[in-house]
Formats: sequence, structure tokens, C-alpha cells
Amino acid sequence: MFHILLALSDGDLHGYGIMQEVAEHTAGQIKLGPGTLYGAIKRLLSERLIVEADERPDPELDDERRRYYRLTEFGQKVLRAEVQRISKMVSVAQRKRLIPKPRT
Amino acid sequence: MTRQRLFQMVLFAYPRQFRLEYGKQMEQFFRDCYRAERVSRGRLGVGGLWFRTLLDLARAAPREHLENLGKDNAIMKNFGKNALAFLGSIALVVMAFLLLSYGRKHEVSTILIFGRVLDALVTAGIVANLLIFLLMTIIHRNPLRIALWTLLLVNGALLLVSTVVGSKVDPNFNLGGVIVGYVVSFLFWLSLHWIWSKASGPRPVSHES
Repeated sequence: MFHILLALSDGDLHGYGIMQEVAEHTAGQIKLGPGTLYGAIKRLLSERLIVEADERPDPELDDERRRYYRLTEFGQKVLRAEVQRISKMVSVAQRKRLIPKPRT
Repeated sequence: MTRQRLFQMVLFAYPRQFRLEYGKQMEQFFRDCYRAERVSRGRLGVGGLWFRTLLDLARAAPREHLENLGKDNAIMKNFGKNALAFLGSIALVVMAFLLLSYGRKHEVSTILIFGRVLDALVTAGIVANLLIFLLMTIIHRNPLRIALWTLLLVNGALLLVSTVVGSKVDPNFNLGGVIVGYVVSFLFWLSLHWIWSKASGPRPVSHES
């Protein structure tokens, strides 16, 4: 679910677009299947973290049967909170020298 | 076309409500993935896609069914309804057999066309009600409509068979009596189903997800 929220943070996407985005930011390690993807979308919709977008990013170039999804304000808050939590954990891991500190 | 049909078959593993809500999108999603894999990696990619899709099915479908079960206990509700309908069908069949054996013992078949009506009631009752029960568990449509068409077809088919076979086997074959028998049987069972549908009220809207 985190990956889907992260994929939608840049803008509205349809199911296949979400899958591509997730595959890209995990370097191809996670390729969502249709059942997992739409099961997660169903749960995110019911928790109001995402909504179905009213308008389409490019209506002329796109199939009108596709449904686009958008992050809600609540979804953005949850995503930020989750990113901060992960970030703190990464900091702890860096202090413990489990992973190297990023070079600045 | 074949791959699309195969994928539609795969979709049947998911709960009905989930299929209705996301089935078309999942088909579109699969089409996009298929195109991309075919262009980039050819047959190997397509094989990999099917493998991933089936693996995903094995993980996601049970989760959706379990969630469905946990949400509104749909399976147990349907199980209760089906058990009641099954017991009702058994009770009707037993009653029909008792009536038939009573009729045979007291030779009521000699009284006008009562025997023909009884035969039609029992045979059409057993065949049609079992079919109606099976159809109602498979097709989630209006039960009275299912009963109407099943009774019409079963009574019609039995009337045809009785007419063809009976006229050759029975020297005292009475076509009028057989027709009246199956018409009465049709009206009797349809009335019972109509009363049942009125008593059980309108079907609630499904909230399973």
C-alpha cells in the first residue's frame, strides 16, 4: 500500500501506471499483479487514502474506460507520516552502522 | 482473444463483487502488461507474465475471499439459506412421494384424471425443484423468474415425453388427462414458488465486497 501511495504522490495514475511507477522506484523488484494491485486499491479507497479522479490527465490520448486514482489530503498525511517513520528507522540503522551514511 | 478469455476465467477465482467492481480494469491492466511484455521480451516475457499472474491469483484471491467472509459473514449466510432451501426441497419431494403412494394404494388413478395430475405433480415437482434449487445457487437472479422458466420447460418436456412414450406403451393412454395433469402441475408449483417469494420478501442488495 505504501508503494501505491508513493506512486500516486506525483499525480493521478491508472492501474497499469501505478504498477509501472512501483516497478521503477523499486528497480523492478516489485511487479504488482492485478489481484494484489486492485485489492490494495479497494482497501485504499475504503480507507479514503485515495479517490477516483474526476478528470483525466490527457483525455485525448487516453482510453476513456481507464480509471485514474488520486491521493487524498488524508492519504498525503499518512504517506508523509510513513516516510518520516521509515526515515527515522533509516537514521537509527545508520547510527548503528548497519547501512552507510549517504555522502553529501 | 484466447488470452483474454483465459484471463476472464482467472478472474472467476475472485469474489463476485470484486469482479464486478474491478474485473474490467484488471482485464485492461492485463492487456497493457501483455502488450509490454510481448514487445520487450517476446514469448519469454509473456510466459513470465502468466506465471506472475497465477502466482498473484494464488495470493490475492484467498485474501479477497477471507476479507469477504470476515466482513459480513456472507458464506455462512448463504450456507444457511441454501441449507433451508435444500431441506425445503427434500420435504417437498417426501410429501410428493407420500401423496403418490397414497394415491396408488387407494387407486385414486381410477377417479377421473386425479392419477395423471398426481403423476405430473410428483415427476415435475422432483425434477423442476431440484433444477430450481441448483440454478438459484449458481445464478443470482430473480428466484420467481428462475422458477417460472424451469417449471415451464420441465413440465413441457415431461408432457412431450409422456405423449410420445405413453401413446406407444399404454393402450388406455389419455392425452387430455396428461395435458391437464401437467398444466395443473405447472400452476401448482408456480403458485407455491410465488407464495414463497412473497413470504420471503424482496432480495436485499448485496453488500459483499
